[in-house]
Amino acid sequence: MSDVLVPPRPLTDAAPRAARRFTGRVLIGAAGLLLVLVVWEVAALVINDTVTLPTVQETVSETIAKLSEPYPAQGHTLWVNALISTGRILSGFLLGTLAGLLLGGAMASVRVVRELVDPILQVTRPLPPIAFIPLLIVWFGIGETAKIALIFSGVLPIVTIATLAALDAVPAELVHASRSLGASPLHTLVHVRLRSALPAVITGLRIAMGGAWTSIIAAEMIAATGGVGFVILQAGNYLQTPLIFSGIAFIAVLGFLFDGLLRLLLRAVDPTSR
Amino acid sequence: MSTLTAAPLVDTEASAVRVRDVSKSFRTRRRSHRAALEGVDLDIAPGEFLCLLGPSGCGKSTLLNILAGFDFPDSGEVLVGGHRVTGPGPDRGVLFQTPRLFPWLTTWQNVLYGPRARGLLTPALRDEAAGLLETVGLSDARDAYPHELSGGMRHRAAFARVLINHPGVLLMDEPFGALDAITRANLQRFLLSLWQERRTTIVFVTHDVEEATLLGDRVAVLSGSPGRTKSILDVGLPRPRTYDDTETLEFVTAKRRIREVLEAAP
Repeated sequence: MSDVLVPPRPLTDAAPRAARRFTGRVLIGAAGLLLVLVVWEVAALVINDTVTLPTVQETVSETIAKLSEPYPAQGHTLWVNALISTGRILSGFLLGTLAGLLLGGAMASVRVVRELVDPILQVTRPLPPIAFIPLLIVWFGIGETAKIALIFSGVLPIVTIATLAALDAVPAELVHASRSLGASPLHTLVHVRLRSALPAVITGLRIAMGGAWTSIIAAEMIAATGGVGFVILQAGNYLQTPLIFSGIAFIAVLGFLFDGLLRLLLRAVDPTSR
Repeated sequence: MSTLTAAPLVDTEASAVRVRDVSKSFRTRRRSHRAALEGVDLDIAPGEFLCLLGPSGCGKSTLLNILAGFDFPDSGEVLVGGHRVTGPGPDRGVLFQTPRLFPWLTTWQNVLYGPRARGLLTPALRDEAAGLLETVGLSDARDAYPHELSGGMRHRAAFARVLINHPGVLLMDEPFGALDAITRANLQRFLLSLWQERRTTIVFVTHDVEEATLLGDRVAVLSGSPGRTKSILDVGLPRPRTYDDTETLEFVTAKRRIREVLEAAP
């Protein structure tokens, strides 16, 4: 057969090249982050005012100090605050994801549900999560429920829309192929329809996770006594700018970490993304 | 299999595929309905290679979808192997215009999909799958994913995935229509030798007169919308055929005869 154009397993030759490409990408990315630090440091030295812009060293030493020392004095260490925020995000994210998967699945399979829910989603989607805060306080008080509900309300529409779009995008012929190969409707639903939608759903989860970290500050504006968002707000009230930067850096790192986990999941389920 | 009624309704020997007075119309947004097929009759003998030829929009794909069990006629009767078609099933292997492999499975897993989904995977079947991959020339690409294969390789993997089910009938919907000329010629050669060896009943949809002449025992010409069987012609060229036959006078004459029927006023 002369149309065997692609070598069957190009691993032997391509693997080192891919590894080199990966190393190169990481180095260039790191250089970009380093550039930001350099600009920051130079600007801080020029401005020479800790409250306006602390230097990188001041921020780092403040971060290290607050890792073990509680802030405020009767509060938690930065580690514990990070854990509190992560707990809130994961609770809201997991509940929102579960509800979004079910709602998106129902919309994709039942026409009435789709026509009923779609306008509601379209109308509520552009609303910023912060707009819901007073309402959530009225409904759930100032405890954990209101904070988790705020994250939930941000995650739900994103996951719902991603699930619906992913299921709609499954080619009918792929389902037909499965059925004509002898698979039952149920086997086809699980192993072809849902499986085929999975990568796009995970991409939706990544966007929702990003949104959840974006709204953590808003969530922790609700009478919080802990959490990274609370630390940032508190530090802002007392003009402790280095600590504001510590909090921001913590959120950036945590957000990056969780996105990385979802990216690993995506790589595991989608061979074309490897 | 499970989608077919138990007792044969007609003599299986007489025809592998029997289409009687099949009509089908679709609802469209503008008009209330559009007739795609109107009173189509067709009999295909076991082991026959029949090409469905017609202009685009004549309903040949609709007819194939009805044979496959993806769609149902408004009226008329469709029997495959003596059984009324009530849904898709592994007794009718379907090859689409795009190969439609499962992108998250390797070539090997794609080929084993049917037996695995039906819970029939045995060591003997694995051996057969390995043999099939050899037949289609993909033994070395067994662990590759579909996106790592060339267009022609994907089509051959789709062949193997269908053949592992031992279908009585192969339904092919312009399977080589979107391929470049060289790959297409290769796959036509491959299909000719495959049919020569296995003698599976094949219903092959195409709009290419040359392809129909090269591959088919008979060519059913459908008229434009709504689709009706305009004429069924014997190709009358000797078997086994090879790709080189396309240059012989007999081939050109047969091709012209089919083209004249296709282009004649309805």
